[in-house]
Amino acid sequence: MSAKDERINVSRRDFLKSAGVGGLATAVSAAAVHETEAQTGPTAVGPGEVPVTLLVNGKRVDLKIEPRVTLLDALRTRADLTGNKRVCDRGSCGACTMIVDGRTVYSCSTLAIDVQGKQIRTVEGLSTGNTLHPVQQAFCDVDALMCGFCTPGFVMAATALLETTPNPTPEEARKGLDGNICRCGTFVRIMEATMKAAATGVRRG
Amino acid sequence: MQQVRDRDIPLTGTADAGKYAWPEQPSLLGTPVKRLDGPDKVTGRARYTYDINRPGMIYGKIVRSPYPHARITSIDLSAAQNAPGVKAVVAWKEQGAEAFYQGDPVAAVAADTEERAMDAARLVRVRYEPLPHVASESQAMAAGAPQWSTSQANTRAGARQETGDLDAGFKQAAHIVEATYSTHVITHVCLETHGAVCEWDGDKLTAWVSTQGVNQCAQAFAQALGIPQSNVRVITQYMGGGFGSKFAPDAQGLICAKLAKLANAPVKLMLDRKEEHLDTGNRPSAFAKVRAGVSADGQLTAFDGQSWGTGGAGQGSNFPLPYLYQFPNRKRVHTDVYINAGTQRAMRAPGHPQGCFLTEILMDELADRVKMDPVEFRIKNAPKLAPNAMWIEYFQRGAKQFGWDKRHPTGDSTPGPIKTGMGVSAHLWGGGGRDSRAHIDINPDGSVVVKCGTQDIGTGTRTIVAMVAAETFGLPVSAVKPEIGDTVYPFSGGSGGSTTAASVSPAIRVTSVNALNALFAKVAPALNTTPENLVAEGGRVHVKGDASKGLTWKDACKHLGTEPVSVDGAWQAGLSSSGTSGVQFAEVTVDIETGIVRIKRILAMQDCGLVVDKLTAESQIYGGVIAAINFALYEDRILDRVTAQMVNPNMEWYLLAGMSDIPKIDIVLNNMPERGVIGIGEPPTVSTASAIANAVRNATGATIRSLPLHPHKVLAALEQQRAGGTL
Repeated sequence: MSAKDERINVSRRDFLKSAGVGGLATAVSAAAVHETEAQTGPTAVGPGEVPVTLLVNGKRVDLKIEPRVTLLDALRTRADLTGNKRVCDRGSCGACTMIVDGRTVYSCSTLAIDVQGKQIRTVEGLSTGNTLHPVQQAFCDVDALMCGFCTPGFVMAATALLETTPNPTPEEARKGLDGNICRCGTFVRIMEATMKAAATGVRRG
Repeated sequence: MQQVRDRDIPLTGTADAGKYAWPEQPSLLGTPVKRLDGPDKVTGRARYTYDINRPGMIYGKIVRSPYPHARITSIDLSAAQNAPGVKAVVAWKEQGAEAFYQGDPVAAVAADTEERAMDAARLVRVRYEPLPHVASESQAMAAGAPQWSTSQANTRAGARQETGDLDAGFKQAAHIVEATYSTHVITHVCLETHGAVCEWDGDKLTAWVSTQGVNQCAQAFAQALGIPQSNVRVITQYMGGGFGSKFAPDAQGLICAKLAKLANAPVKLMLDRKEEHLDTGNRPSAFAKVRAGVSADGQLTAFDGQSWGTGGAGQGSNFPLPYLYQFPNRKRVHTDVYINAGTQRAMRAPGHPQGCFLTEILMDELADRVKMDPVEFRIKNAPKLAPNAMWIEYFQRGAKQFGWDKRHPTGDSTPGPIKTGMGVSAHLWGGGGRDSRAHIDINPDGSVVVKCGTQDIGTGTRTIVAMVAAETFGLPVSAVKPEIGDTVYPFSGGSGGSTTAASVSPAIRVTSVNALNALFAKVAPALNTTPENLVAEGGRVHVKGDASKGLTWKDACKHLGTEPVSVDGAWQAGLSSSGTSGVQFAEVTVDIETGIVRIKRILAMQDCGLVVDKLTAESQIYGGVIAAINFALYEDRILDRVTAQMVNPNMEWYLLAGMSDIPKIDIVLNNMPERGVIGIGEPPTVSTASAIANAVRNATGATIRSLPLHPHKVLAALEQQRAGGTL
């Protein structure tokens, strides 16, 4: 690629990654991050690796990562927590859905460094031993999955929904799951599983 | 008609067929059995290729052509080579080679982190000489158009068929419809992108590949890399969607293997979403200029169709036309059109959704000309009823169940902007079995392991492998351990053409029966009987007709001593067949002020021979219907008509249905055990879009002859109708 191409090829994700924390307002390239650091305002870190401590499924995870690394990538590639998936990588399909301080987040569009000190829950944190979480059990019972790649995200979205709305109407359940996409077409049974799990009862996590 | 004859492979057995015949009163087959790997998938334990993390693993990233057509004048890898963390660089295209589409792979790098690999990829200096390009079928077909390639023309004569006497056919016609119909290009959008993890041990390669065919991949790796196939092991334990696009290692797999060799480290190379849209296949477009005749009493008389479509850069675009219905006199001439866009690959029932749409919209137009009900009209012109041609029965049963009698004539005359309508459509598919092998061990402790080199692409193959063995052994499914998704197991083919269940199930059945007979031979003396006199059912091995004279499975297996039963087997004719049929009904609402189409409900009537797992078979029907809802209403690969750049290579502007877009879907799954196993992955996705389009036509009175049914097209069709009608 020519130098010209590089400049115009800054994608939203590259922007997010290179901007790092605190530099979002002004940074448009790695070079601009350095300029930001020289100015007053929030302390910029990076662009090299920095220590980041995360609280994942109740356990402390210490990482050394560049500030541009997303929560999803940090856990998938540095902590071997590969349950949540990378699919669209720009916050539109929900496969990376995690629960942070009780709310669903698209972890592909969340920087790891920004969620230090928060309670992060991934799909690995739902089951206890060999006992499945009621949402997971319902997904298995009614075959609410096929290839399974969207499944962890849907399970997290359904769990978060039922923790805040234990007895959703079908309309509320649909809205709660509208942030996720399945390509195999398991939606009918995901709805069924979500309503079934609601009937079983889901305790606040 | 041709398609029906070709797939009409009768269930004729070999001499052995009786020995292996499917049980007349199965305990498991045809029942809903939960997916065995469900718990692994819902907990995140399931490791897909994307999730394989190997010690010392590094990350690959491909550099791709930003131009739709260009000559590569130079590739300079030096800056990338010297970038932080870079372990390997490779040029994929040669200097002077052409890039034929945006996203055509040119070079690649590998670095110790994915972020650094992305940084280094930006440092690869490629100089391009941009060449003229074509971005659409009409551009490519225009006189004096630029050429998609410096060495190949923009069009190629494709399929051509002629039957009967066209002139005579049109003379018999009381009405003739002439119109042009079309469908658009869509991409597979596998949620797990294409990619691999490659690891070398000397000249032996282990590759985790997101693939629908572990064995095809092993063969392709060996050929491309110049190593014996015995040196290649391909593993796919879990796979995040393929839909026909994942049969080979492709450029990314081979690049991954080369980078791993150069870096002397395992390399993970998974494509990003944009690359996935640009370079991993798509469903070709389809156009047809049709002239068709119908007699006064509603008999089809003639079909004359000129068709074309694009499979992108140098790939064909054929599809069946006319589809399913009996035109006694017909002619069809197809032209493949090449444009500067990513190349097509098989996509869930390749060709059929296109041919079905083009024909089924025409069918409703013809039915209106003779003032016949669309169901009645179809019954009159469908192939005659047969086990592999159940349409007439499905039209009748389906119409009753769906409440078709409440359908109004074309155009909802009720007041208000929301119009309701119903539509119907039919489809066919081949499926059927082919060579597949298996190996079964029954151990002295009673444990059973079934090995088969097939793969589970989300259809539930792992579960049916265990079910067929468990059925034969009279055991619960949980007592059988299925091992698949690895080339170390006996050969099985790729998961395409809806052939997996019909290939694998007979192989497992034959192997299980042989294994059971070997066990019986060891157990019979202890029960003072002969092996032929034993049966295995309900977790026991006992004398036929006397359940008390027997042993538990576990105790029976103790008679093996120290040596397990270890048996190989292969697919045999007689346990599977080919040819499925289906009919679908749709009810929609159309807001004639906004053009927005909402689907109220779908009824899918489908057969697939012997149903193995009712639960997963139904899931495939739901999935097929929903995939076709996307095809009909949402997804569209949009190329900028000037630059030939894809404008929506992501998942926010490449639209796919979400939960709120899903209608009520009812399924009628017709179990036909006497036909053996056939397969169901593809057929249910064929006709949904046509049924929806016909329902929109019924609701509005406006005919939209091209997919997708986006609001602007609905509004344009309504406008055209007001200006003088489209009928």
